[in-house]
Amino acid sequence: MKVMIDYCMWFFGGIIMFYMLFVIVSYCAMFVIAMLDLRKRYKLDPSEYDDAHIDAFYSKPVSLLVPAYNEEVGVVDTVYSLLNLRYPQTEIIIINDGSTDTTLQTVIEHFRMKPVDKIIRTNIPTKEVKQIYESEIYKNCILVDKENGGKADALNVGINVSQYPYFCSIDGDSILDEKSLLRVMKPIILSDGEVIAAGGNIRIANGATMQLGSVTETHLPNNYLVIMQIIEYLRAFLMGRIALSKFNLVLIISGAFSVFSKEWAVKAGGYSTNIIGEDMELVVNIHRLIRKKKEKKRIEFVPDPVCWTEAPQTLGVLRNQRRRWHQGLFESLWKHKTMTFNPKYGLLGFIALPYFWLVECLGPIVELGGYIYIVVAFFLGKIYYEVAVILLLLFVIYGVIFSIASILFEAWTMNTYPRKKELLRMILLAFTEIFWYRPLTLLWRCEGLVRFMLRKSDWGNMKRVGIAEKEKSV
Amino acid sequence: MIELSISFLLTVIVVLLVMLFLFTIYLLLQHEREIRFAKTRDTYLQNYSQHWYNYLFNDGNFSMVLVPRGRAQVAAIEIIFSSYLKNITNEKVEHKIKEFSNHYLKKFYDKDLASKRWSIRMNALYRIADLQIDELLDTCQQFEKTKISEEEYFQLLKIYSIFRQELFIGKIKESSIHYSESEYRRLFVLLEDSVFIRLFEDFNSWTKNIQFAAIDTAAVKRHMQYIEKLKQLLTYEEPEIKIRALKGLYEIGVIDEIDPYVPFVASDMWEVRLMIAKIFKHVPLEYSYAYLEQLLEDDNWWVRSQAAKTIAENREGIAKLQQFMESSNDQYAIEMAQETVVRRQGIK
Repeated sequence: MKVMIDYCMWFFGGIIMFYMLFVIVSYCAMFVIAMLDLRKRYKLDPSEYDDAHIDAFYSKPVSLLVPAYNEEVGVVDTVYSLLNLRYPQTEIIIINDGSTDTTLQTVIEHFRMKPVDKIIRTNIPTKEVKQIYESEIYKNCILVDKENGGKADALNVGINVSQYPYFCSIDGDSILDEKSLLRVMKPIILSDGEVIAAGGNIRIANGATMQLGSVTETHLPNNYLVIMQIIEYLRAFLMGRIALSKFNLVLIISGAFSVFSKEWAVKAGGYSTNIIGEDMELVVNIHRLIRKKKEKKRIEFVPDPVCWTEAPQTLGVLRNQRRRWHQGLFESLWKHKTMTFNPKYGLLGFIALPYFWLVECLGPIVELGGYIYIVVAFFLGKIYYEVAVILLLLFVIYGVIFSIASILFEAWTMNTYPRKKELLRMILLAFTEIFWYRPLTLLWRCEGLVRFMLRKSDWGNMKRVGIAEKEKSV
Repeated sequence: MIELSISFLLTVIVVLLVMLFLFTIYLLLQHEREIRFAKTRDTYLQNYSQHWYNYLFNDGNFSMVLVPRGRAQVAAIEIIFSSYLKNITNEKVEHKIKEFSNHYLKKFYDKDLASKRWSIRMNALYRIADLQIDELLDTCQQFEKTKISEEEYFQLLKIYSIFRQELFIGKIKESSIHYSESEYRRLFVLLEDSVFIRLFEDFNSWTKNIQFAAIDTAAVKRHMQYIEKLKQLLTYEEPEIKIRALKGLYEIGVIDEIDPYVPFVASDMWEVRLMIAKIFKHVPLEYSYAYLEQLLEDDNWWVRSQAAKTIAENREGIAKLQQFMESSNDQYAIEMAQETVVRRQGIK
């Protein structure tokens, strides 16, 4: 029996340690790539590009899609933030996805919406559209009232109604910086359409001061749970998106703020309505299409453009969110499992997908295993202490050091939270991450995996939660 | 071995923490420096914005107190200049800004061009173009000989397109770097008409992106002199050239004869038919209606929609559309006409 336990402990200890080292090395590599990329731009005056491209002559028109399900509180501010955007040619399409609250009335009254007869081209099949309205105040503002069909269906309706060659999806309670659209479109414009989708950087708005759809000041909130999420967002951004984007390996661009070429999105079938992570699904489908058509197209993550969103403030809401994200991630990866290690998909099949499987998807199991191992090792006695200590130290590098490095690097290059006190508070809190926040999120993500396994057979009948619950992936 | 690993990991962690600690100290000091910089800049803005206004707009006397002492004051002057240059077109002001920049700011940007940091060099190139510091042109040409990035070369082209347009044409001819259409447009818009016409005359010798950008720039310049050249492009085989030339002609908005456009009503490409439906906006309805009716019954939704819009924009358009709805058998066309009529009446 003892031999068996010994064998198991060495075996699992070895796997967990190997995994941790692998992740640390990958994160280091991605961090260095991100650092070089951002550092190059440090102190570059961005207004030069903004001013040059504010003219419609240099840009391309964009349809802004705002799916709203029970967003009576946030939707007006979101639309104002879109009206405030510095961009030469846009149309705003608010899609009321059969809300049960007063979203429809709020938008109709606030923007003086009048019903209009309009023929819709059905590029993508959707649930029925009840009525289209146009604002009497803002000529480029349209409201579509439709039957409830979930966020993906609402976005598909938006794509059908839109008249411009690019569309940008924005969550019904997110706020965009005024120059964010101009900058997220930059790679698309400068590449002459070689870039067919681009995602922006998402930031947490809790604690920020807002006025009529604009973030006027950023403060670090008092809620520790929210601060931890801020740190987590910074880390995900520095140790993932930027590096993956450099090699056209981005699999997730957040649904809260992303631009797509309409032509490619329609060809890829639009947003999938039978899947949780519809944003990831669309990106993967477009990647597939690019490879199938053998075209030289790219999907990019743009570090600068900022979309502000509200983060969960309680453990319960955060748990739901994380569980759902992870379930969605697993579902998408499972659906496209044949792409993994498939030579047809090049680096996407050999680097991006294995990375997502190993680090993002199955990582929580191994990491949680690491935590359990440490606890068990201390009960089993002296001989495992050392392995446990090594694991703990690896957790420190993985959790604490990377988090602090991300905070400092962000402060160096972007300086979103410029006050000294706030910077120090974030650093101090990062030291506590591995003791409470990390294990909790791991547990919730594992829960997401279990839920995926259990509900696999009856997935098609899954009850929709609606779009009020955020679909952002960190 | 494990003992060694623990000590190794501990060492790694301690080293990393010490590095991060030092980095934090550096950041905090840097932060202090930035605050001081911002304070000096803001003080200058507060004290001298009015002086600048008087000097630039009211012919007030130039005072030596306006001359910058240090980077923070240069930054303040850049803010003042850029706000005037972006928002006001006034040759006298532009000339004074140019004169001052050539005299007092030149040395700062000259030094920046030698910086190791790419972003600093880029900012200097931006300023040389914006503030028209032509005295740095030779320095720029020297700078071109060093190992520079594509973005820096683009800024140099922009500078040449402002100060030495002949040199600019030569440079884009010999350049092996290809920029996007939007970037070429940014360069061509700055060219004087006489230079741009020559560039346009040379149409066939350019790469696709330059050709497309030239057509689009001609459209935006809206000169009658480009109409003939754009019409010639309608005979090209390349569909994109044809579509853009049509778009250009639509933008210029002067259609002196309908005949060259009629064959395109039956074009195989819906984009071409769409542009024709748009162009007919500039033609009296009595000449264009027969073709627009044909386009109203087109297979393509966008073409139908545009044809209906073009008809509706005419004074007699609504009546024509109503008449069409009664006589046509094409359900799609009728629906489109109906939507346009309802919308138009709603606007009225």
